[in-house]
Amino acid sequence: MKTVIETKNLVKVYNGGVAPVKAVNNVNIKFNEGEFTAIVGPSGSGKTTFLNLIGGLDKPTDGEIFIENVDISKLKERKLFDFRLKNIGFVFQSYNLIPVLTAKENVSFIMLLQKMKSNEMNKRAEELLQAVGLGDKMDVRPSKLSGGQQQRVAVARALASKPKFILADEPTANLDTQSALNLLDIMARLNKEENITLLFSTHDQRVIDRARRVVTLIDGAVSEDVNK
Amino acid sequence: MKKILKISWRNIWRNKIRSSIIIIAIIIGIMGGIFSGAIRLAAEKQQFEEAVDNRTSHIQVHHPKFVANPEARFYIKNGIHIAKEIEAIDGVHSVSERSVVEGMVASANLNAGVRIKGVDALAEALTTNLNSLITEGTYFENEGRLPSIIIGEALANTINVSVGSRIVLTFQDIKGEMISASFVVEGLYKLSSRRFEESTVFIQSKNIYDLIGKEKHVTEIAVVIDDVDNYRLMAEKIRKAFPELDVKHWADMEPSLYYSLEFLNQNLIWMVGIIILGVSFGLFNTILMSVLERVKEFGILMAIGMKRTKVFLMIIFETIMLSFIAGVSGLILSYGMIRHFKVKGINLEGVGAEGLEDFGYATVLYLDLDPQMYFQIGIMVMVFAVLAAVYPAVKAIRLSPVEAVRSE
Ligand SMILES: Nc1ncnc2c1ncn2[C@@H]1O[C@H](COP(=O)(O)OP(=O)(O)OP(=O)(O)O)[C@@H](O)[C@H]1O
Ligand SMILES: [Mg+2]
Repeated sequence: MKTVIETKNLVKVYNGGVAPVKAVNNVNIKFNEGEFTAIVGPSGSGKTTFLNLIGGLDKPTDGEIFIENVDISKLKERKLFDFRLKNIGFVFQSYNLIPVLTAKENVSFIMLLQKMKSNEMNKRAEELLQAVGLGDKMDVRPSKLSGGQQQRVAVARALASKPKFILADEPTANLDTQSALNLLDIMARLNKEENITLLFSTHDQRVIDRARRVVTLIDGAVSEDVNK
Repeated sequence: MKKILKISWRNIWRNKIRSSIIIIAIIIGIMGGIFSGAIRLAAEKQQFEEAVDNRTSHIQVHHPKFVANPEARFYIKNGIHIAKEIEAIDGVHSVSERSVVEGMVASANLNAGVRIKGVDALAEALTTNLNSLITEGTYFENEGRLPSIIIGEALANTINVSVGSRIVLTFQDIKGEMISASFVVEGLYKLSSRRFEESTVFIQSKNIYDLIGKEKHVTEIAVVIDDVDNYRLMAEKIRKAFPELDVKHWADMEPSLYYSLEFLNQNLIWMVGIIILGVSFGLFNTILMSVLERVKEFGILMAIGMKRTKVFLMIIFETIMLSFIAGVSGLILSYGMIRHFKVKGINLEGVGAEGLEDFGYATVLYLDLDPQMYFQIGIMVMVFAVLAAVYPAVKAIRLSPVEAVRSE
């Protein structure tokens, strides 16, 4: 199976506080194409830090991160912007969407940044919104959508750029149980049907079992890695 | 790019109240700036017009000694002839040759020192429009027993005479001897320069020749040229043609007016600019606030791969569009305002401006503004607005995406 992400001796140290914090401590891990992984662990265990590193948002203190064959830890800031745009889909906990754009425009926007043709763009945006169950909310602005619906638009947007994988840091943190399960079901379905590689972090016991692989971090190190 | 413009445009209307307030502030700033600039300009222009059109004319020619000693003996030889020659110079519109002397005017019980101008009624009308300034009586129409004199309203009040009154002029003749003669007040003229009105009287030159003891006695030639802006050139031309005479243009004769006009012409745009600069600080504050509020949003845009330059442009476009709307509306409204006051005028009477007349200012101002000014102000508003947006925009894009994503 094709490896999409591989980290080697990945370390991230924060020197901010009283003593340096090893937020990610020597992580060696691989994620293959089509995997649907939950990163779990107590608060402060390094989940966000880990996802930010493999998402190219943050620089490691040490170690390497390979996305397919590219070591992104060596990429320059400018290159990273482009790399993220082309290869990685992001779903954040909140503030995902541009408030002044409609759902469809939000999804199209990332394709526009990728300079996709506009008719292709429109078609794909519509398909993706249908896929996340928002076919009837295409022309609605985020403020008129529920939290769960907003996260689904974010998932559609993350997919729009045809990324190598999607990172979602606590995508359900602000959602009620029903919306959280609903979002995870959609993600699971996309994973199964379209073979999309998905990683999400969560605290949320309700959604962990939707994932097919569960990686547990404790103090920045992998303490458990279970494939179901 | 189009999409970024669209987002910027919509972002403006996200906080309608804030955007409206800043738009209104810019509009008021522009209108205030233009109004105060235009009113200054109108005051100076009006003063200029009166000074030049009704008093000094564009150029005056004298005997060189007459300037310091305005005595009858320092007259221009062949004055009438020289006046004709000057009138024939290309670019000269009209001339008025005058016999000017210093003297006294006396009514039944009061007297005052005055400058007596003996003029040709028609030539004077053509150069200084004296005929149109008559508020009471007539302009050298009567042929009575006594010769006519036209005096200022202010002088009439001072020496307590009115149209039809008899007054006596006393002055030196060409040999330096004092002579007196009676005149009848035929008309009163009014100018906003009270000083001029109080000190200048007009009689017809034909009435002064006898008294002064010389036919065709000319001490002053007032010249009106076709194009005011050419005054220096024309003065030089006349100076070259008559090197033995003293030739002065209006700026020599009214230096303070000249300098204040020059100053205004050069600095009006800055006077307006300072007001607009003040408004820009408000704009700066608003943009900074609206950017800081959206740090998280910009961070996420950068996280998903939107380049910093695009985020930067997005913020700058917002300001450009905002200031464009405000600038254009401000200028249109200002144009309307200036148009209104151009026709109607602004009456400064009753706002304590009565005293202004004593300084030669008119009390009703008709505003006008060089169309170029609107353009310059428009550019200025945009430039200031962009400058005001640069710092917030730079601040927004300096942020690293992780920080933005993390800041809850
Ligand atoms: N910018 C920073 N400067 C200093 N320390 C940091 C910074 N960001 C994170 N940390 C520290 O790194 C460690 C890991 O943080 P991280 O946010 O990755 O944990 P997490 O597992 O995502 O926690 P949570 O479940 O609460 O989101 C924590 O001890 C945190 O305090
Ligand atoms: Mg976290």
